[in-house]
Amino acid sequence: MSVERIRKMESLAALSLCTFAALFGLFWLVFILGDVLINGIGALNLSLFVNDPAPPGVEGGGLRNAFTGQLIITFFATLIGVPVGILGGTFLAEYARGKNIARLISILSDIMVSVPSIVVGAFVYAMLVKPLGHFSGWAGAVALAVIMIPVVLRTTEDMLTLVPWTLREAAFALGAPYYKVIIQVAYRGAASGILTGILLAIARIVGETAPLLFTSFNNAFFSLKMNEPIASLTVTVFQYAMGPYEIWHKQAWAASFVITIFVLMLTILGRIIIKWKYGKS
Amino acid sequence: MALSFKKNPVDLIFFSVTAAASLSVLALIAGILYVLFSESSLAIAKFGVFQFIFSTDWNAVKGSFGAATNLFGTAITTGLSLLMAIPVAIGIAIFVTEISPNFLKGPISVAIELLAAIPSIIYGMWGLFTLAPIMAKYVEPALQNSIGRVPVAGILFHGTAMGIDLLTASIILSIMIIPFTASISRDAFNLTPAVVKESAYALGATKWEVVKSVVLPYSKLGVFGGIILSLGRALGETMAVAFVLGNNHQITSSLLDAAATITVTLANEFTEADNDLYLSSLFYLALLLFVLSFITLAAAKFFLLKAERRYAR
Repeated sequence: MSVERIRKMESLAALSLCTFAALFGLFWLVFILGDVLINGIGALNLSLFVNDPAPPGVEGGGLRNAFTGQLIITFFATLIGVPVGILGGTFLAEYARGKNIARLISILSDIMVSVPSIVVGAFVYAMLVKPLGHFSGWAGAVALAVIMIPVVLRTTEDMLTLVPWTLREAAFALGAPYYKVIIQVAYRGAASGILTGILLAIARIVGETAPLLFTSFNNAFFSLKMNEPIASLTVTVFQYAMGPYEIWHKQAWAASFVITIFVLMLTILGRIIIKWKYGKS
Repeated sequence: MALSFKKNPVDLIFFSVTAAASLSVLALIAGILYVLFSESSLAIAKFGVFQFIFSTDWNAVKGSFGAATNLFGTAITTGLSLLMAIPVAIGIAIFVTEISPNFLKGPISVAIELLAAIPSIIYGMWGLFTLAPIMAKYVEPALQNSIGRVPVAGILFHGTAMGIDLLTASIILSIMIIPFTASISRDAFNLTPAVVKESAYALGATKWEVVKSVVLPYSKLGVFGGIILSLGRALGETMAVAFVLGNNHQITSSLLDAAATITVTLANEFTEADNDLYLSSLFYLALLLFVLSFITLAAAKFFLLKAERRYAR
């Protein structure tokens, strides 16, 4: 066999291996997604959304408490996390642009994005649960907000940096003070990017379980009180899937299905906004 | 840029508010470190550092706690999952950047990113209901009947095939970090200038030779950073492994035994800790995890920044 031939064969073999790896990886991922969709759709029904849980082991009942609890916790987490994140990102991209402190905070935020979320749960437990003596929806919301802040902060910084500096100079030339330039020029230019960051941050916290385990805990009953333990979809999935009852397992599949669809929709929406605004990235 | 914003009172307020918001990140990191440290002071005083790390005792009744079993579980699941995920992830990245036809590149990239967005609890639950039974019924007996019969390597597959063990947990963890590692590697590969690749092709190089001798060396720093980042993620992953690891505090030679990682112990025992020393030991574990992953993530960031700077030139 000629050298060329061996080289070509080697190339073909290696590339086939890569293609196989890609197929192999995609296989598992399609398997998981398909399994969640099939089992989830099979377990979906109306009573899941309108009824509260039946006593353990009894047929029927729903997860109304977990759906509302999840919504409330996510709402308050967003209410705390988004403003802090946007304002913090604004400081890095505007007042402190190019300064060392901005670079340091930016790097530390990147690290914070990937810090184990269960550690955040332990932190909030020590801050808000142990001193008060009880689990609460507030503690859960704060834990999720802590996770959200660095995510929103980093996207805001990146998006504001993309707004051309000359736009700001034009506004300065008209005598506008910096805060007006930021609000009326920079924010306007970066709005859709920042919105995407918020959507992705919400998608991130909606799937978080670990930080809620010992902050908002769980509640088998319908509750709107943020000062008490409150149910969430993710913690309910954990509890139900590990539990002994068949009906719990079905409801855990259904809840997982809803979480997955919600997260994927937010992620796709975020991508669409980015693509529509910034073209191919 | 150094505008005299201080002349305008509203500007000064806006400056202060945004500065405070961005400093909140520093405050959070310092706060987490301080709180975890002070909460674990009881356990630190009782067990010290080395005794805690190397003691395999985890006994709530005796009030004796050591992190060795947890560190063992974390090290094995993380190491094994990376071992399985890295080749697949790099294969995917090579496929997307170099092999796949153009009309497939977009959809596959989107699919990878969507899969990276799926919450870890979904992977965990799928592992419990779907993967664990498959492992117990087919994969693990098959492994026992083949490699299990080999004298030395066989130790890895001793015991009863239950599906709730280190091997299943590592596989789920690896499936979970594949999209993440693949997307970072792809970004690194994409930064290889087309001119460099084309000149290799012009010299008569085959596609694989271009990948092997041009793309991989050019992007190794970025890929390496991405792998360390995945390591940092895997270290702290809780829900993907909590379902299928069994939370059994032991150091075992068999991958078919239940075990416990730091995260799984925290998730299962935090709300059950009924005395101060128990809770304090759990906080000590959380502190160890935080320090470990912080160092890992910082190293990853260092390599990624270095790679970025190189490409920018």
